[in-house]
Amino acid sequence: MAEIVLDQVTKRYPDGALAVQEVNLEIADGEFIILVGPSGCGKSTTLNMIAGLEDITDGELRIGGQRVNERAPKDRDIAMVFQSYALYPHMTVKENMAFPLRLAKVDNATVERKVQEAAEILDLTQHLDRKPSNLSGGQRQRVAMGRAIVRSPKAFLMDEPLSNLDAKLRVQMRTSVSRLQKQLGTTTVYVTHDQTEAMTLGDRVVVMRGGVVQQIGAPQFLYEHPANLFVAGFIGSPSMNFVPATLENGALRSVLGDCTLTDRVRQLVEGSDAPREVIMGIRPEHFEDAALVDAAALSSGGKFTSQVDVLESMGSDKYAYFNLTGEQAASAELQELAADAGADDVPGDGISLVTRLSSASGAVEGASADIWFDADKVQLFDPSSGRNLTYTER
Amino acid sequence: MAGIGGAETTGKKVGWGVLNTVVVIYALVPVLWIVSLSFKSSETLADGNFIPREWSLENYQNIFSTTEFTRALVNSIGIAIIATTIAVVFGTMAAYAIARLDFPGKNLLVGVSLLIAMFPQVSLVSPLFEIERSLGLFDTWPGLILPYITFALPLAIYTLSAFFREIPWELEKAAKMDGATPGQAFRRVIAPLAAPGVFTTAILVFIFCWNDFLFAISLTSTEQTRTVPVALSFFTGSSQFEDPAGSIAAAAVVITIPIILFVLFFQRRIVAGLTSGAVKG
Repeated sequence: MAEIVLDQVTKRYPDGALAVQEVNLEIADGEFIILVGPSGCGKSTTLNMIAGLEDITDGELRIGGQRVNERAPKDRDIAMVFQSYALYPHMTVKENMAFPLRLAKVDNATVERKVQEAAEILDLTQHLDRKPSNLSGGQRQRVAMGRAIVRSPKAFLMDEPLSNLDAKLRVQMRTSVSRLQKQLGTTTVYVTHDQTEAMTLGDRVVVMRGGVVQQIGAPQFLYEHPANLFVAGFIGSPSMNFVPATLENGALRSVLGDCTLTDRVRQLVEGSDAPREVIMGIRPEHFEDAALVDAAALSSGGKFTSQVDVLESMGSDKYAYFNLTGEQAASAELQELAADAGADDVPGDGISLVTRLSSASGAVEGASADIWFDADKVQLFDPSSGRNLTYTER
Repeated sequence: MAGIGGAETTGKKVGWGVLNTVVVIYALVPVLWIVSLSFKSSETLADGNFIPREWSLENYQNIFSTTEFTRALVNSIGIAIIATTIAVVFGTMAAYAIARLDFPGKNLLVGVSLLIAMFPQVSLVSPLFEIERSLGLFDTWPGLILPYITFALPLAIYTLSAFFREIPWELEKAAKMDGATPGQAFRRVIAPLAAPGVFTTAILVFIFCWNDFLFAISLTSTEQTRTVPVALSFFTGSSQFEDPAGSIAAAAVVITIPIILFVLFFQRRIVAGLTSGAVKG
């Protein structure tokens, strides 16, 4: 049990490439923290530095108050779960789980007891004498977890532990990882590129991009108050819609129609020295079928009419997709997000918009629909720096 | 299964069967001929029958009656085992370093070892003879073991580094995280996984040492160090008019047996797919 502190931790490769840049992070004892970001953002490198598998170029790493930069992985007392599980194929499940204890020269009776305990927690008791090659993906994953928990380390490090599982099993394992962490109360650092995992698992989420921490906060906070375009676009599924807009005398002009800023938004914008041209971000759930909105709300929000491109009914909600004519919002962050999602090569002019409407909506695919959006929920971003102009701590 | 393309499959099976039989017969006839010769008495040796008319153990009794052959057998076994052990131990370490580490001069090292493996051995015989004579290694066990290791090492390094590359790198990281020192990670995780490679290499190196004739005949001069292939060439009949073919055949059969045993013994350990299940995919 210990807290982990990263103090200006930097990783620079011999060829000069900067993988991780001055990361400051204080992980409290027992906290479940998620490092998330697109591939190549430095999250795995950061994890490997905490593990001791990669050297720290600059800065200091403290575990339980002690500087551990120079310590070998085995002297840091932390356990790691790998994406590939990395089970020892020549050992049975039991031997795999006992391996860390054997290396620590724990006596036989204790080894036996601890392995049994871990096997019970992970529901592996009947598989103890099998070899990893005879196990299913989910079972292998559990063995990897078991190997980490048997020796009660100071912290767990998990490097995309669920990404090799199929979708259904992943959801199932996600809840068991979460339950296990609560049960054991061990400090956990979890790396993933999946924002859903980040949202559902962590006490706090660290969003990284290009080796730089973008924002640290509770999942809900990141969702509601993204510090910049990158976080806004990365967190949330389906992701936030981005539309170029113009600020003019307290009104917002865009292809989504003109709307007056609410007092709350106006104050934030005025306090942040906003440019005239901005990028407007609005989440799918802040749209609604105009026919279902009462008159008071209707007049305060924005409204546009367009043809429904695709309509997906989920039962509880309807997702309506629109393709509006106009310039796409352009910024480096958005390009990177699109590239990470593999969407940069999808042909399509204009602005694509995802809206989540009530199931009572009468919108029909191919037909025109009146759509309203909540002007108070609009987030505005500076296109050049990506900064959130409506950012607030509350 | 049988229904689909049955005629074609049967045709193919017959074709392959015939081809395989021809190859096996081609390979085995000389061996069986030697076995047959070894069981013939000196009178019927040249009668040309494939199956001996009368079976006799005369040749086997002959070769084991003198120390010439038994001493050579001891030399062969001793020299081959020592050379194999040393070559495999060093080869394992070198191959591991080549597969895993990036160090200056790595490519040079690999290149040089390849160069040694390709060097025509016959061109080294005279220099080696001179060197060993001046160093006092001529006609000693180390005098043969050293050149064997030299030529076996590149073979060992090449075979083993291929095996090491197959082992997922993450296993070693996992071992480190589990609290192993680099030495422990190597001994308890990497080495057991590389075992099939080590045994394969051991077989190849052993056969190379066991079969060598060139160095053995050039660098030895007495019965004390002669290996079996050389001893065979020194076989004579009881008189100069007698053909030693029977004895040579018997000795050839005897020295084939260790090789067969060696392969059979290690074959069980060369289990394909030992690393399956370590990592997904």
